[in-house]
Amino acid sequence: MKRILTFSTYLVRNGGKSLPLIGVIVLAVLLIVGIVALMNSIPYSIRTIYKHSKNYTGLVPRSNASVDHNIRKEIRDGSPVPIEPILVIRGSQAQVKSIVGGWPFVVLAMRQDDMRRYAKRLNITKIEGRYPKAGEAEALISEPVARNLKLKLGDPLLKPDNADAYSMFPVKIVGIAQTDYWTMMMPYEYHEKYHFPPYDSALVFAKNPADQDKLDRWIHEKYRGANLRVFAYFLLEEETNGMFRILYQILNVVIFTLVAVITLMMAMLINIYQSQRIQEFGLLQALGYTRRDLIRRVLGESIAVVLVGWILGVAAAQGMLQLVKSRLMDPNAFALDVWDRSALLYTIPVPVMIFLAAVGAIWSRFRTFDPVSVVERRLA
Amino acid sequence: MIELRQASLVYKDQGKDLYACRHINLTVRPGEFLGILGPSGSGKSSLLYMMSGLKSPTSGEVLYKDQRISEMSEPERARLRLVDFGIVFQYPYLIGYLSALENVLVGSPGVGTREKAQELLLDLGIGHKSHRLPHELSGGERQRVCVARALLGGRSVIFADEPTASLDHTNGLAVVDLLVRHRGEGALVIVTHDPSMLAHANRVIHITDGEVVKEEVDPSFAPTGPIRETIGP
Repeated sequence: MKRILTFSTYLVRNGGKSLPLIGVIVLAVLLIVGIVALMNSIPYSIRTIYKHSKNYTGLVPRSNASVDHNIRKEIRDGSPVPIEPILVIRGSQAQVKSIVGGWPFVVLAMRQDDMRRYAKRLNITKIEGRYPKAGEAEALISEPVARNLKLKLGDPLLKPDNADAYSMFPVKIVGIAQTDYWTMMMPYEYHEKYHFPPYDSALVFAKNPADQDKLDRWIHEKYRGANLRVFAYFLLEEETNGMFRILYQILNVVIFTLVAVITLMMAMLINIYQSQRIQEFGLLQALGYTRRDLIRRVLGESIAVVLVGWILGVAAAQGMLQLVKSRLMDPNAFALDVWDRSALLYTIPVPVMIFLAAVGAIWSRFRTFDPVSVVERRLA
Repeated sequence: MIELRQASLVYKDQGKDLYACRHINLTVRPGEFLGILGPSGSGKSSLLYMMSGLKSPTSGEVLYKDQRISEMSEPERARLRLVDFGIVFQYPYLIGYLSALENVLVGSPGVGTREKAQELLLDLGIGHKSHRLPHELSGGERQRVCVARALLGGRSVIFADEPTASLDHTNGLAVVDLLVRHRGEGALVIVTHDPSMLAHANRVIHITDGEVVKEEVDPSFAPTGPIRETIGP
């Protein structure tokens, strides 16, 4: 529209009216991003904490004391992708903390060389301290675990009086590995001597990490129904998705309700503000502005309000999530994706629905609008 | 310039036809100052709305430069009001968040320049208040801004619907005087119920119950353009 009346003229000069509209959208977007991102942080935490399992297929025997020689040979001979030598390990249970409570975590008991091979696989190049010695009550943990459990060198990882992370003797931390992976390791020999039940599990590594998923799926299919439990990252993902399906359905209902309430509120506000501008619309139309000019202008204003509100809302949400991450999540190594795309996608209905409500209000107002009724003061 | 042929405007009131204007034949000549005089409710404002394209006649025709306004599309009629016609309404309507100067410019986008608008406000005696918002102006000053808005851009016809209604008599006379002096070569049509406002009119028609009942003509008036004969009722 004509230069004097640009889209921004009304909005900028009527801050008392445009700012509350923008504010409602900002708060709505902030609220939705906050709820969804925090909700997403739970499965995201699972994926982060157990991400180390992306590097191997775990095999745990059932009704047997070990993943026996025959099975290992079958895997070596039949694997669809080249594999590394299979690691024989044992495992002891510990716990890590999450925003929804404690989660189980396995302390991998390995022989000296295997620890180094495993560390190499996880790209661990720097260790504060050292590797545990064979047969000693010692452990190596990664930095996120140390942060999560507030542990430092010399602290016990497992101890006799801890039911969730038990060992007959205090197993002291002698090394902290600098990596993003969550991992805990202890000597195989110590586990063999003091931990029960005494069964050997196995870790199978694809030579090329990119082939690991293929290997995981092959092993899973091959030993379906066998006396062997397979742990693989894709199974973890499937389980996580299944676990949160209902929760996300509830979330959808909550967000839908929220969007409906906000849209209704905004439609009422827009209607009130447009009613207050009847005199302006009538005058402009009487002066010679077409209905199309006016509708285009009001739609432009509506687009500007919803876009500015949405962008500011996203920015405010990012700021809030950054704050939550740095103050609450990071110190405990809790996972939170500040740039959570799905959280942002959940906010799209807000500007879209508000814009549609504005279009509806404008359409119904201008459909039968007569400027003469305004200049004659019948509608002023 | 503007010609009404048997133009009627009928409103429906509880199923009954209510004539605001009845079979009016009238011509507005170039440069003419035409006064339309009548009591409240006589149909004079409705007549002005028909002439300016704000209302279409229910029957009959309204022509501007031999083109039927009533057959024009909404955008075409809007363009007439934006470019060819200037309108001053009974109440000094201004847009509240625009300054006096911007309110003047808003009436003739792309035609009037900022400098000309400022000049016009100066001529109308409110140049020093051109950056004030409407609520900072008195009623008389607001109506002057409305006059400037109608004048800017050199319109062919200026319509004024009871422009003095919300002003005291002195201010009312001043506003009419401004319209008369600043309209240039444009015709001026003023609707009023106060005969003293039409002292300088070239022609005055009296309207009662939607019909032209009397016409007074200043014999000394010479139109600035081609003359079309007034067609009687």
